[in-house]
Amino acid sequence: MKNQLRVLRAERSWSQAELSERLGVSRQTINAIETGRYDPSLPLAFQIAHLFGKQIEAIFEPDVG
Amino acid sequence: MDRTTVTQRKSGYVAFAWSIIWILTYFGARLILKSMGPPRADWTRVGVALVPLVPFVIFLWTFIGDMRRADELERRINLEALAWAYPLAMVLIMVLALMQIAMPLSEDDWSYRNVWPFFWVFWLFGQAFARRRYQ
Repeated sequence: MKNQLRVLRAERSWSQAELSERLGVSRQTINAIETGRYDPSLPLAFQIAHLFGKQIEAIFEPDVG
Repeated sequence: MDRTTVTQRKSGYVAFAWSIIWILTYFGARLILKSMGPPRADWTRVGVALVPLVPFVIFLWTFIGDMRRADELERRINLEALAWAYPLAMVLIMVLALMQIAMPLSEDDWSYRNVWPFFWVFWLFGQAFARRRYQ
C-alpha cells in the first residue's frame, strides 16, 4: 500500500521519532510504514488520519493491479 | 530514541534478564543433580529438577506483559518469529524421533537436555529474519 506519510511529516517538519511519539508507536513502525514495508492496522491508520486532519484514503492508497 | 522504543527496550531487558536467570538456574540444577549421583526416585532430586520452573514462570509473565504493551509492528515481528520457531522445533523433534528409530543416537548429544536450546536459536533466527524484513 502506498502512502503520503513521509510527505505529510515533512510538511510539518516532524522527525520520525516525533511522529512516533505523537502516535504512541516505535520509530521503527513509522519507518516501516513510510517505506511501504508495513501496512498499519485500521485503528493506527485512523489515528494517523486524525493526527493529520485528513481522510484515511487521502493518506493511504491501495496497490491496484 | 522515541519513548515507545525506550519503554519496549527497558521491559525487554527485564524479560531478557529473567531468561538468563532461568538458563543459569537450569545449568545449576543440572550440576547439582549430576553431583547427587545416578537417577533415582527421590523427592529432593525432583525438587531440584523443578527449581528452573520458578524463573521460567517469571520470564514468561514478563515476556507476555511485554507483548501486550508492544506496538503493533513489534507484535507482528514476534508473531513471525514464532511462525518460524514453532514449526522448526516440531520438525527437529520429528526428525530426531525418526533418527532414533533409524539408528542409535547418543543420549549425551541428542536427549531433551541438549535439544531444547535449539528452540531458542530458532526463535532468535525468526526474530532476526522478521526484523530485517521491516527495517
